[in-house]
Amino acid sequence: MVTKPVIRVVDLWKQYGDDNKNGVALRGANLEISAGETVALFGKSGSGKTTLLNLIAGLDRPTRGLIEVDGQDLETLGERGRTELRRKRLGFVFQFFNLLPTLTAFENVFLSLELIGKPDPKTAREALAAVGLEGKGPRYPHELSGGEQQRVAIARAIVKEPALILADEPTGNLDTATGNQVLDLLEKRCREHSMSLLMVTHTPLTCRYAHRILRMVDGVITEQTSCAEIER
Amino acid sequence: MRVVTKSFLRYLLKRRSLSVLQLLGIACGVAAVVGMTLSAGSALSSFAQAVEFLRGKSTHVIERPAGPMEEKILKNLMNDPAIEAFSPVLDRQVRIESGDTVRLLGIDPFLDRVVRPELGYTPSAGDSSGRLGQFVDFLRKERSVLIENGLAAQLGVQPGSIIPTSKGDLYVLGLFPNPSGEPLLLMDIGHAQELLGLSGQVDRVDLILRDETGFRTRWSEGYRIQSHRQRKETLVAMLSAFRLNLEALSLLALFVGVFLIYNTSMFAVVSRRRDAGILRSLGTYRKEIVLAFLMEIMLFGIVGGALGGVLGYLLSRFLTGLLGNTITNLYFFLRPAAPAWSNWIVLAGSFLGCGASLLGGFLPLQELVRLDPVEALSGRAASRKAEKKTWHVALVGFCIIALGIALLLMSFVHVYVGFAGIFIFLLGIALVTGALLILIGPALKWVLYHLGGLPGKIAAGNIRRNLGRTSVAVSAFMVALALSIGLGAMIGSFRQSLLWWMNTQLRGDLYISTITDTQVPEDFYREVLAIPGLGGVDPFRNVQVTYKDTQISVTSVDASVLQRYTRFGWLRGGNENWDGVKSGAVIISESFFRRFKVKEGSTVTLEGINGPETLKVQAVFYDYTTEHGLVMMDRATYLRLYNDRTINSLGIFIDPGNPRRQELLEEVRRRARLRGLPILTRNQLQGNILTLFDSTFAVTRSMRVMAIVVAFFGISGALLTLFIERRRDFGIYRALGFSTSQIAVMTLLEGLGMGIVSFLLSTVTGTALAIMLIKVINLRSFNWTIFYYPAWQPYVLTGAVALCASIGAALYPIWKVRRTYPQMQIREE
Amino acid sequence: MDNTHIKNKKLLMTRTGAEREKQQSAEKAGKPITKRVRITITLTLFWFMLCGTGSVTPAEEWKQAVTPWQWVFPRDHGQHPEYRTEWWYFTGNLSDSQKRRYGYQLTFFRQAIASSPLRPHNPWSVRDVYLAHFALTDVSGKHFRHYDRSSRTGPGLAGADKDSMNVWTLNWSARMKKNGIHLEARQGDATLKLELRPRKPIVFHGEKGRSRKGPQEGQSSYYYSLTDLETTGTIKTPWSREEIRVEGTSWFDHEFGSNQLTRDQVGWDWFGLHLSDGRDLMVYFLRKSDGSIEAASSGTIIEKDGTTQHLNAADIRMDVLDRWTSPRSGAKYPSTWQLRIPAARIDITLAPLVTDQELTTTASTGITYWEGAVAGHGTSEERDVAVEGYMELTGYAGSLGGVF
Repeated sequence: MVTKPVIRVVDLWKQYGDDNKNGVALRGANLEISAGETVALFGKSGSGKTTLLNLIAGLDRPTRGLIEVDGQDLETLGERGRTELRRKRLGFVFQFFNLLPTLTAFENVFLSLELIGKPDPKTAREALAAVGLEGKGPRYPHELSGGEQQRVAIARAIVKEPALILADEPTGNLDTATGNQVLDLLEKRCREHSMSLLMVTHTPLTCRYAHRILRMVDGVITEQTSCAEIER
Repeated sequence: MRVVTKSFLRYLLKRRSLSVLQLLGIACGVAAVVGMTLSAGSALSSFAQAVEFLRGKSTHVIERPAGPMEEKILKNLMNDPAIEAFSPVLDRQVRIESGDTVRLLGIDPFLDRVVRPELGYTPSAGDSSGRLGQFVDFLRKERSVLIENGLAAQLGVQPGSIIPTSKGDLYVLGLFPNPSGEPLLLMDIGHAQELLGLSGQVDRVDLILRDETGFRTRWSEGYRIQSHRQRKETLVAMLSAFRLNLEALSLLALFVGVFLIYNTSMFAVVSRRRDAGILRSLGTYRKEIVLAFLMEIMLFGIVGGALGGVLGYLLSRFLTGLLGNTITNLYFFLRPAAPAWSNWIVLAGSFLGCGASLLGGFLPLQELVRLDPVEALSGRAASRKAEKKTWHVALVGFCIIALGIALLLMSFVHVYVGFAGIFIFLLGIALVTGALLILIGPALKWVLYHLGGLPGKIAAGNIRRNLGRTSVAVSAFMVALALSIGLGAMIGSFRQSLLWWMNTQLRGDLYISTITDTQVPEDFYREVLAIPGLGGVDPFRNVQVTYKDTQISVTSVDASVLQRYTRFGWLRGGNENWDGVKSGAVIISESFFRRFKVKEGSTVTLEGINGPETLKVQAVFYDYTTEHGLVMMDRATYLRLYNDRTINSLGIFIDPGNPRRQELLEEVRRRARLRGLPILTRNQLQGNILTLFDSTFAVTRSMRVMAIVVAFFGISGALLTLFIERRRDFGIYRALGFSTSQIAVMTLLEGLGMGIVSFLLSTVTGTALAIMLIKVINLRSFNWTIFYYPAWQPYVLTGAVALCASIGAALYPIWKVRRTYPQMQIREE
Repeated sequence: MDNTHIKNKKLLMTRTGAEREKQQSAEKAGKPITKRVRITITLTLFWFMLCGTGSVTPAEEWKQAVTPWQWVFPRDHGQHPEYRTEWWYFTGNLSDSQKRRYGYQLTFFRQAIASSPLRPHNPWSVRDVYLAHFALTDVSGKHFRHYDRSSRTGPGLAGADKDSMNVWTLNWSARMKKNGIHLEARQGDATLKLELRPRKPIVFHGEKGRSRKGPQEGQSSYYYSLTDLETTGTIKTPWSREEIRVEGTSWFDHEFGSNQLTRDQVGWDWFGLHLSDGRDLMVYFLRKSDGSIEAASSGTIIEKDGTTQHLNAADIRMDVLDRWTSPRSGAKYPSTWQLRIPAARIDITLAPLVTDQELTTTASTGITYWEGAVAGHGTSEERDVAVEGYMELTGYAGSLGGVF
């Protein structure tokens, strides 16, 4: 493993609105993920997991603290830089898949390639084939099952070979068997392309795919040792 | 095409029904403007063309200040060194069988061919002998006419046919082309004199002048000399108020159109929020998303606009006829040619649609620019934030209303300022709608709960919860309904004012010959006067004269008869005002008083046959016959001033208590019939005037219908979007155990609720609008006071429309729900 | 032009009025009829009118010129409404103080449509239509302009007195006052204001002014001329800035009748010339459709003392020396002529004073012809003479035979 961190988060605070009591999602979170590393972040609903992902993706701005992706400070990158970063270096996998409903499976994947300026249909088809959706390219999201939709989302994320994939409850909307398949796939693809993966989840299912397990409680991240602790 | 753009545009296909509604909404808005502009343009250009065509090569016109001119002056004109050529003209109208009036020109073909060679009725040596024979017949055969091609086609006549008219049968000798499309009959001037009973008289002489200054010095007294430019300007100026009204009407339609586009664009943005969020998370630039959206609304603008252009063209064919009738009724004979089709219409429509889309899409685009991807992704609609924003918007709205009212108060600068004030006022009201919706919320909840129980309560909640969307829909619908109420109430009040006016002035028992194309022979007037026992006979004469370079009306009456039998609506004083009129003073209409700022007790100077004469203004009276101003005088004064003995009509007055009343009326009728003069009772005359009034508002009414149609598409589209957006909710309701019919009721009540709120707001706005139209716009553009008469009809009518539109708009979603409800699940898309 | 003294010999030139078409075929075999086309052109329109309608008085109702006329002046300078056609005809050659030369033509025609108006009280009711031609030639500027107009009698718009010469069509007029004839015409930039005083007695044509035109009894007209009119006055041409004082010699014809035209001719070449030794010469050639010259083509020499000498076609030799093609109509007109009359010992060469004096009357009659001032030189009775006058060339821009 390479030691240079893909992500470095130092003392990250995020407060919504002016309300001091309820609005604080992150209270000094720290995190470091190396290249090629798969990290699972556990936490209850509302513990600030999604907020952290949004902040890392540059979709939202922290109240205080430092986020570095690929060694670049998000704050100094600016809006355009952050968009560029998302476009080229980050992949997103959501709980609710978030495929564009008006685009076919193929087009959803192709969109990623178009955004990085390599609009090669072959690559997109290969990516779909790699997630086991050969021949389902022309289908619209609502014509696919939940698992298939999530595979499209994974294909969309990995096709551009980002440095880091952020997955927000990727199995949250899937049954256990499908969930396992999807996680299998995700982990395998990340390993093949030596991409880092940060999975946010509240189910222990994810546990055994991760190199490292973290836990978030009330906006603070703590290191975990084993899956057993989660399952407990 | 970039995939981003594609992802947006696919919506249009995916939600076909909604797209069609949006397209139709834009198309109707554009159609209203295009239709109005085309037909107004067509009417005005037809008019200008007709004037140009009949002008020929002539540069000036000489006529008497009022009434016809003696033909013996032709001999003097002939020897005037300033004249290059001249052509005497009798310019009258005859009524054909269909009831339409047609212009009849009496000309001398020898003199006229120099002035109007393009009429081409004089044959040349290369012509067939048949055409030459036709020419001789034209000169020799009485009642023979040449007919313009268009009219001939309309009447289905050809050479040899007979056209029955109010003046008897006319024989068609031949046809001639008339590029202006004005229905026209040409007759030899001598025959025309015989036909019209105008021996020795001509209406005017068209001149080609070499030396205007010299000519004017020799002919200044007793004549009116106008250059054709002046004449055209004068005539066009007559139409200015009318034209302004048309422009304002089409602007109103555009206003509704833009509002609708704003409405639909806003919905589009709302429904794209999540997609935009996803795209942002994938690393799409903000500007790429904005561009994609811009493309979408532009596409709507282009396609809808092009469609609107086509629809507008079709509409214009219909409106042109209406406009022609209105102008004919109010000003002068005009049968405008239907506008010609041109591909530019489609282009113009697209352009207009794009412009309106950009205008309407401006705010929604801002919304998209400010989109927070995290919020969009999480689906948090931040309703508290929306409410806060609603109050901000309302505050802005109040400022805009204040600005609108300020502009209305400044309408004395120009009537356009007044129109701008009205638009801005409506815009302000529209912005306040959201806040009003919040305020009305509880009451609405109560109403809907009592109408439909729990579903009603939920429906009210939905309206309140989706404020961002519902307030836009409600405000658009409200504006359209307010327009309908405002125009309706204005027309109603005008009609009431007219009824009141007719009862002040038209109090005769019988009216003889009130049609513009007929005259009452003076000896008939004397004959009627001689019938013993009649209360009074009023010889009425109305002519157009030039006053301060504009056309006004001069009316001659018998002051003592009117003093005794009528109750004019005086601005000040009573019937004693006639005393002055009997001794040579004049009374003026309110429009004259406002237009020329001539006050009671001051004077007006009119060009008479013996030069200018200054007359004292005795009083001002309310009048709706002409917006250009009217001066009324006793017949004795009129004869002294103009030496024009023409009488247009007679008003017969008989004392109500006269025991021989019926007998006398019958006697007058009998004598009029003998002369072939039309007779009308007071009720018939008043009925005719009302019919005329109603027909003149045909255009306004059709614009009102257009506004409602546009609004209908708007509200339907808005509701449909709302329901499509909430398909997920329907799944939840199903899970909660709501039945299909309960969902249907809920949907219906939601539509109804919005309809009710829109209507309630529009009653207030519409009334305000009516008052603005009456007190500001009408007063400014027509110079007359309309009295505001509250009437329930426009409100009931508009209410019914609102009801139908809102229920109608809910029907499609209900149908859709019924069809798919059993399969609905709680699931994310 | 005091060198144009005219002998009082009869000018054998006949003119015809309009006639109904059906009578024409009967006439074909008869004596060919000569006429001046400038009249017939204008009257074409009305001749057709007469054919085109039955409502108008038939030709039989008009008085025919069958008996010798009892001439009374000034009454006979006025109109003769019982005859269908009548004209007053003025041409002249003028010069100003700088010896710049001009030509003019002012003609009035009366054509009756019916013997009485339908409604006598209404002046617009048509009986007669008046037509008029007005042309000016500026020789030094090489300009030519012509105008024509027509009018019904109307309320004083056109007409002619019955008791003396007072004929007018709008503001063009010819009025006799105290033995002088006053001509006035104004149109556009052209004006004419002349006073004409006769230097010779009236010349009656035919039998005491009854001039026969065909084999039939009624085919005649009454016709006289004032051949030598001393002319003074002013003109204003479209090319001159102000009025020009002019003097010169004019010719006046007055003729009335009720007869019609024939159609067997293609065109005419007509000359009216003043020789500087005082002789006047009129030559008239009628070209027939078969290419021959009409036997009745003729001429007249008016001697310095006023006596006249008739010339037959055989007495006259005409040769075309040069031709000119009109850029407008494409018609190829003879322009330079050699004219020889051995019997009168005349040998002269003639050329137009202005090449283009073509009238294109597309706006009214639609007929195109050439008429204008000419000049030349040669010998008369073995003495050198200068020549001045008018020439008329018709039927070159398409045959008139079909039209007439």
